[in-house]
Amino acid sequence: MSHKDTLLSRAGTSLVILLSALSLTAGSAFALTNDDCLGCHSDKSLTAQKDGNTISLYVDEATFKETVHAGNGCVSCHIEAEVAGDEHPFPMSPVDCSNCHDEVANTYSKSAHGVAMAKGDKYAPKCKDCHSKHDILKPEDPRSTTYPLNIPYTCGRCHQEGSTMTATHELNKHNITQNYSMSVHGKGLFEDGLIVTAVCSSCHTAHDVQKASEPTSSVNRNNIINTCNKCHVGIVDQFKKSVHSPLVTKTDKKLPVCIDCHTDHSIAQVHEKDFRLIIAKQCGNCHEHQTETYLETYHGRASMLKGGERTAKCSDCHGSHNIMPAHDPKSSINTDNIVKTCSPCHPKANLSFTTYLTHATHGDKEKYPYLFYTFWAMTGLLVGTFGFFGLHTILWVPRSIIERVKAIKNGH
Amino acid sequence: MAKTQTLYVERFSVFQRFIHLLIIISFLTLAVTGMALKFAMEDWAVQIADMFGGFAVLGALHRFCAVITFFYFFLTMILLYTTWKDSGKNIFDYILDPEGLVPNLNDAKEMIQTFKWFFGGKRPYYGRWIYWEKFDFMAVFWGIAVIGSSGLALWFPEQFSRFFPGYWLNIATIIHSDEALLASGFIFTIHFYNTHLRPEKFPLDPVIFVGSITLDELKHERPREYDQLVASGELDKVSTRRAPASWLKRLASVFGIFVVTTGSILVVSIILTMFKYIQQH
Repeated sequence: MSHKDTLLSRAGTSLVILLSALSLTAGSAFALTNDDCLGCHSDKSLTAQKDGNTISLYVDEATFKETVHAGNGCVSCHIEAEVAGDEHPFPMSPVDCSNCHDEVANTYSKSAHGVAMAKGDKYAPKCKDCHSKHDILKPEDPRSTTYPLNIPYTCGRCHQEGSTMTATHELNKHNITQNYSMSVHGKGLFEDGLIVTAVCSSCHTAHDVQKASEPTSSVNRNNIINTCNKCHVGIVDQFKKSVHSPLVTKTDKKLPVCIDCHTDHSIAQVHEKDFRLIIAKQCGNCHEHQTETYLETYHGRASMLKGGERTAKCSDCHGSHNIMPAHDPKSSINTDNIVKTCSPCHPKANLSFTTYLTHATHGDKEKYPYLFYTFWAMTGLLVGTFGFFGLHTILWVPRSIIERVKAIKNGH
Repeated sequence: MAKTQTLYVERFSVFQRFIHLLIIISFLTLAVTGMALKFAMEDWAVQIADMFGGFAVLGALHRFCAVITFFYFFLTMILLYTTWKDSGKNIFDYILDPEGLVPNLNDAKEMIQTFKWFFGGKRPYYGRWIYWEKFDFMAVFWGIAVIGSSGLALWFPEQFSRFFPGYWLNIATIIHSDEALLASGFIFTIHFYNTHLRPEKFPLDPVIFVGSITLDELKHERPREYDQLVASGELDKVSTRRAPASWLKRLASVFGIFVVTTGSILVVSIILTMFKYIQQH
């Protein structure tokens, strides 16, 4: 290539660059491009002082280009900078996401986080606290703060026990992240990387997070069945036909919902020891007498000792989501089904065997007179025997001491 | 066996001592494993279950010792049969032998004399078996009958309920557990005191392990038996200069004190628990 050709080629290239630059800034003489911003903000050492802290003003262009906002100019969020042109004021007012995300912002403003924010709670999370600033990736991206595997960490930054937020706020629930990570949902997430498992936002929603006491909260007692139903459709179908469903039982008393038996953050796998050992207690919150009398029987007594998760629990006989009253032909404790219900543990069960009183108490004279009288006859026998021999022994003590002293004196 | 100047009289044969050893091992295990279930809501019961490795282990040991119990019951029957045959008496005379193990009118008299003795009267003219010892022996019979039959029902509930209503199992539970409370409470307090813990014997009367007592002890404790032996001229035949082996005495002390201590700890736990319940209700 000759010298002349080279010169021509250089001039052409320069022209192309100049024209390109002009076309990009067309429409506004002072319009800023991302490149303009990055002229300063690609400098890793760029910092500023804010509220006494040194903050980095560096923006990683490569990462930003992968974010959901890659197609947006910096100034579409940092509006003040656009107006200012070359040198923008510092500090600038916070980015207002609601300019574009107005619907989400509206939901957020009514949520517990939004309300706290409006009240001036400095710990209330802003959009960027969960979504980050220049690194906002799609929730499907494993690097995103809102990717299922990362959500517990995102929420945990504030909600982990011992954080400044938990220390400064009065909260109903404690150790929620620890409990979650031990729960069936948490184990699915952390141990198996199961991204369809329930994470914080699955139950609490993302932007509409409300206290459980709020009637509109997704985790309010009255809404929790629908919330669980998002995943556990089959179970909820069964439950709706059971004696515990408000559709079946019309009562003024409180009917149980999912969390009453399964708990919330510490929800355990149902066949696991942890869960089996609390069943009687959970049912006992409403069925107090039944639990008390169950605990008097072999099943209940053994359940309190090591290995006790193996003995029959409420749900082993009554079922769980499909519990029906005993008179219903579909009930597991209906006379037609009871032998089958006992047989997994008692393979030779027969109908007479099933008349064993699994909730027996000797304290109810009207209902179980034979147990009442047996107990008191036995108690009488004990009191009588110990009364007589106790007296015999007590009277013997001084005499025996005298005999011993005598024996010692006689040289024995 | 070392020969000494002291004269000894055999009180329990090797076979009798073996039976009592079986009783001790099985009874103590049955009591510990059973009470852990009966008082499962108490911390001490939870600790017992943890120590044994869970309620299933307790259940297995309980049933194993139930088998030992039926076995020693059977051995006792053999013992009674052979002593009956050896006595040359007819069955009624054997059972109603005034010096036998069946309580009789003389025991009632001795009991009244004993209460008088407690208050400063003369020590009664006791024979080979004193009434509280007869009560212990007879208690094993009705204890095994009651606890054994109700226990078998609870061991085989499906089979039991083919012949009886299922809710009888609830009755069997009450009878089994309360009779067991009576039995273990009785053994670990009254029997322990009468036999081992009373000041005259404290901490242990090893005769059930070593078999013999000295002639002096016999003369003092059971004067009627001594006089009968003298009168019948049998004393020379039954007395010996052979003292129990010292290893046996040592072993008896260690084992006996261990058993008495274990039983006492259990019964104290039970008593404290019962007091707690009585306070609560």
